[in-house]
Amino acid sequence: MKEKPTRREVLKHTARGVAAVGVGGLGFYLVKKAGGDNVWQIDVEKCVNSKLGVHGVEVCDLCALECVLPLSAVRAVNEYSKCGRCYICPAYFDIKSAIDDEGLPSKKLCPRDAIIRKPIGWIDPDDPANNFYEYIIDDKLCNGCGKCVMGCKEPAGLSSIRLEVRYELCLDCNRCAIAQACPDEAYVREPFQKREVDA
Amino acid sequence: MKYHKERVISGPGVEGAEFAQALRGLAVDAHDRLYAVGDSKVVVFTPQGKALKTWMTERPGFCAAVSPDEKIYVGEQGQVQVFDAEGKLLDTWRDEQRMQLVCSIDFASDAVLLADVGQRCIRRYDKTGRHVGDIGRDNRMKGFLIPNRQLDFVVDAKNVIHACNPGKHRVEHYSLEGKLLGRFGRFGGGSDPTGFTGCCNPTNVALLSGGRFAVTTKAEPLVKIYSPEGKMLALFGAGDFDPGCKNMDAAVDSTDRIYVIDTVNLRIIVYAPDKPEASTDGDDRKAGKP
Repeated sequence: MKEKPTRREVLKHTARGVAAVGVGGLGFYLVKKAGGDNVWQIDVEKCVNSKLGVHGVEVCDLCALECVLPLSAVRAVNEYSKCGRCYICPAYFDIKSAIDDEGLPSKKLCPRDAIIRKPIGWIDPDDPANNFYEYIIDDKLCNGCGKCVMGCKEPAGLSSIRLEVRYELCLDCNRCAIAQACPDEAYVREPFQKREVDA
Repeated sequence: MKYHKERVISGPGVEGAEFAQALRGLAVDAHDRLYAVGDSKVVVFTPQGKALKTWMTERPGFCAAVSPDEKIYVGEQGQVQVFDAEGKLLDTWRDEQRMQLVCSIDFASDAVLLADVGQRCIRRYDKTGRHVGDIGRDNRMKGFLIPNRQLDFVVDAKNVIHACNPGKHRVEHYSLEGKLLGRFGRFGGGSDPTGFTGCCNPTNVALLSGGRFAVTTKAEPLVKIYSPEGKMLALFGAGDFDPGCKNMDAAVDSTDRIYVIDTVNLRIIVYAPDKPEASTDGDDRKAGKP
């Protein structure tokens, strides 16, 4: 029969356990301090979809295509403080498509129909141009393809839409597939910078 | 009707007539001298593009207009400065509330009209600088729809105000009392150049002879001519401007030359009609005779 540990032995084991936890915690703290606060994020001034002054180029959809997740960890967000609530939103409509019977573009820009358009307040039944419109991006549908970001870019729009990493999905891969594919080095791992997120 | 690109005025490297950061407003006087406003200065050019004189403004200028008595009004943030033709400051109208950002000025018989971006309307003042009323604000949108923060207008000899309402893709006509008299324009897609595309176009308007309008658009930067009834008569300028240009102010001289700002390259592009179609009398342009 095993003897009951003495008080001295209990204290010894406890001290060892505390020391081990302390060393582990210190190591975790040091690793986190060295790089743990860095997160993947998109530099909107480098991303070709939002970079001002870049015109006549194809939309870059690598954030949607390269992410290892089924639904990319990148999404589009609309910064409402910048949004013009336009009647014709070049991020919502494909403004080059034919005009329909109501005088609106007949096609939408988003291939996943992830943007919801609705008039705000009392609706003028006689003149739809007489309303402000809210544009809400459905987080569950958006895959970060960037088309709306390019559509909203100045001067065509007001640059209120940008791409952003959704941290509740991002796996924080060390070798992020998007970062490796991004031709503009816009997908960067840096200390987290809080930006206005209201979408 | 056809227009051709005649010359370029100002631009980087043009000594004495160079704008460093911004070139925003144009006006033409009765002698066809061109007044260009940008940075914090006014530069006066001959019709051939030679710089005649320069003077400074207190704040960055957003627009200019020449009154019938040849005073030069410059719209700024919170104020309008009034100069004589030599650049001597005559007066400053300050009204931080009603002149949050003055981006267009024109004149009616007894009124000075200012476009206020802050409240999205046109302010009516008398010639002494007393506020008389507002135009374009008495509607359910509480003003013009200008997500691009540009409200441009022009007044004809009958005191009718023709204002861009870019969020509605229209040019609207108002009386001095603020009554909406009519409009033209609609959204047009890529296959319909007669309409206006994007979120907000046209952005700027100027008056040609015969009551015709020259308007500019952004994305793609273009110049379009419309009849008084709103029928598109000409379209030009494709490729002449930086694609990032927006809110390109335009001015017209007595021969129907159109001066348009390239807001990115900070220069002025001049278009002339292929054949003189109008009288050289500047009053005829203002009269809007058919």
